Amino acid sequence: MAVCTLSAQSLPDVKVETADGREISVRSLTGKKPLIISFWAITCKPCIQELNAINDSLDEWRELADFDVVAVSVDDVRQKSSAKAKAASMGWDFICLFDQNQTLKRAMNVSLTPQSFVVDADGNVVFSHSGYTPGSEQQLLDKVIEISKRK
Amino acid sequence: MKRIILSALAACAVSAAGAQIRLGDGQLTGSFETNSIYYVDDSGLGDAGTAPDDKFGSNNYLKVDYNYGRFSAGLQADAYLPALQGYEIGQQPGAHKFYLSSKYIQWQDNNFSVLVGDIFDQFGNGLIFRSFEDRQLGFNNSLEGIRGSYRFGNYVQLKALYGRPRLYTDYADSWVRGGDLSVSLSDIFGSRELQLSLEGSYVNRYEALDKDEMLDFESRGLTSSNLNMYSGRMNLAWKGLSLRGEYVAKSKDLPTAVTASAVRGEAVLGELGFSHKAFSISGTFRMLDNMGTMLSLYGTGTGNTLNYLPALTRQYTYMLANLNPYQVNVEGEIGGQVDVYYTIRNKQNRSRYWNLHANYSTYYTLRGEQSMTGNRELLWQDINVDVERQWNKRLKTTLLYSFQEWNPHHGYRHRTYVSNIFVADVTYKFDRTKSLRVEAQYLLSDEYEGDWVAGLVEFSVAPHWSVFFSDMYNIDKTKTNYYSGGFSYTKNRTRIQLSYGRNRAGYVCSGGVCRYSPAYTGLNLALTSSF
Repeated sequence: MAVCTLSAQSLPDVKVETADGREISVRSLTGKKPLIISFWAITCKPCIQELNAINDSLDEWRELADFDVVAVSVDDVRQKSSAKAKAASMGWDFICLFDQNQTLKRAMNVSLTPQSFVVDADGNVVFSHSGYTPGSEQQLLDKVIEISKRK
Repeated sequence: MKRIILSALAACAVSAAGAQIRLGDGQLTGSFETNSIYYVDDSGLGDAGTAPDDKFGSNNYLKVDYNYGRFSAGLQADAYLPALQGYEIGQQPGAHKFYLSSKYIQWQDNNFSVLVGDIFDQFGNGLIFRSFEDRQLGFNNSLEGIRGSYRFGNYVQLKALYGRPRLYTDYADSWVRGGDLSVSLSDIFGSRELQLSLEGSYVNRYEALDKDEMLDFESRGLTSSNLNMYSGRMNLAWKGLSLRGEYVAKSKDLPTAVTASAVRGEAVLGELGFSHKAFSISGTFRMLDNMGTMLSLYGTGTGNTLNYLPALTRQYTYMLANLNPYQVNVEGEIGGQVDVYYTIRNKQNRSRYWNLHANYSTYYTLRGEQSMTGNRELLWQDINVDVERQWNKRLKTTLLYSFQEWNPHHGYRHRTYVSNIFVADVTYKFDRTKSLRVEAQYLLSDEYEGDWVAGLVEFSVAPHWSVFFSDMYNIDKTKTNYYSGGFSYTKNRTRIQLSYGRNRAGYVCSGGVCRYSPAYTGLNLALTSSF
């Protein structure tokens, strides 16, 4: 008999494109350290605000916990090249991925952007929030610190 | 009004389960979205301000996925109770709709995957095939059928699919089948720095031509039930340089429901990108020649589309810059766009930087005969610059200027309208949680509706609350005021927004595809949640 319990969602096994055009499995990013995964689009102003806010604080945050930031652009063919150009010029110290046909977005049930996830080193999603208001990036750091302390 | 409240309660019930559910050894995840409007009569909009009889529209989506190891399955139910005004799905027979819009069962291992159900996929840049969902447009052209793919290491990837396309709430009577092949030459020859791949696709649409006696396709030059489309692509990346190209061709077809005689189609897409440190540039060229491709020869509407031909122009987030968006001329257009980005960041303080961006896009009709003048006509031109300055951790300013020139007759006549748009956008953070954002916009034009002003004020208390008020006013010809105010509350994966306002008639565009939305005034509840 099936038992219904609440637990952490795992990262789906979906392939996306890297900045240099290679295809990688999202799961291949797990297993090392916690991840902040943030879905963005070039027409989504709060998404870029959030990524900039994270990037601005990255040096301070990394003194508190060891983690990587993964910025997943959901721009389709219309804006993908512009998104790649923007990501390259912004100096984001992130792993930039491109989900052109929104396969990862669908698999992670992202209805609107920005939506950010905190994923532990084992690939379990431990926190997520949608939308962005200046200052709400602190929730992501708090969660990363919390799971880093559990180890 | 009761129904708005009921929508909110139903949504809250879903969001209460705001955690992932493990069922046996598998895992259940999902999402819920509702967008509901209570329409009110508004004499300020003239005849357009009369609310529909029902005064209510509600678009709702519930998606559930189950994963167990390499096996996954899912479904999505859509409910239009009835569809919001302007959504073409509401013009289909029967205004109220509740149906299963998507279901699938999938097996996937490292190299092999098979999916039975509704397929969302794309070949290359989507010029010959793209099945996707866009809820802002009420668009879903997924393919109900089967898809298999196999990967030989990183060297070769093969994909094939077969099915019938969704056409609004039903399915088209056509069948679509296709294959896609990708060969990575750089992996075959062990090159690490240079990325080089060659790709190709084939798509066939079959549809009997004798299903409706009223439609005589033969007299319009269409004699075959089979439409064939081919694509060849090349992708190259080396250090900061990238080059991508695609050529597609299609056999004789009717590109739109009103096309008088069947024609062949072709398209070329080229992209060049270069980035070095904080500088990057990206250029796109595209030529479309009768590439509109319908899911069904018997269907109509924006949703009756098998491929993806978005407007390759800048898409704005500012109200006045988006007032008259470019719409692709599928009959034939040629043009492109260039983006240049440069960031100057303070080395000692990451939170101080200048971000400079310039964009230029222009499109012309492809052939002289598309215009009554016999010449190629300008369809669209946009020259824009924006400068973003993060002064410190508290203050950020953005200034934008856009020069837009657009042809209201889609190139048929030699006539364009010009708009000059100015935007100032300031965000100030009072402390770690409170912030204020203010936008001021001005559109200067001697033509069409003349000058506009617009403004927005948004106050946020992170991470939950945001309150906003915006106003857009035509100070020249129509003197109409479009106002909107509301608030949003976000808790983890759930976001609810309640707003009231008057909305202008116009094109709502998402991903470069547009649908016409009529003017309305009403109370809007939008909620998304996932678990």
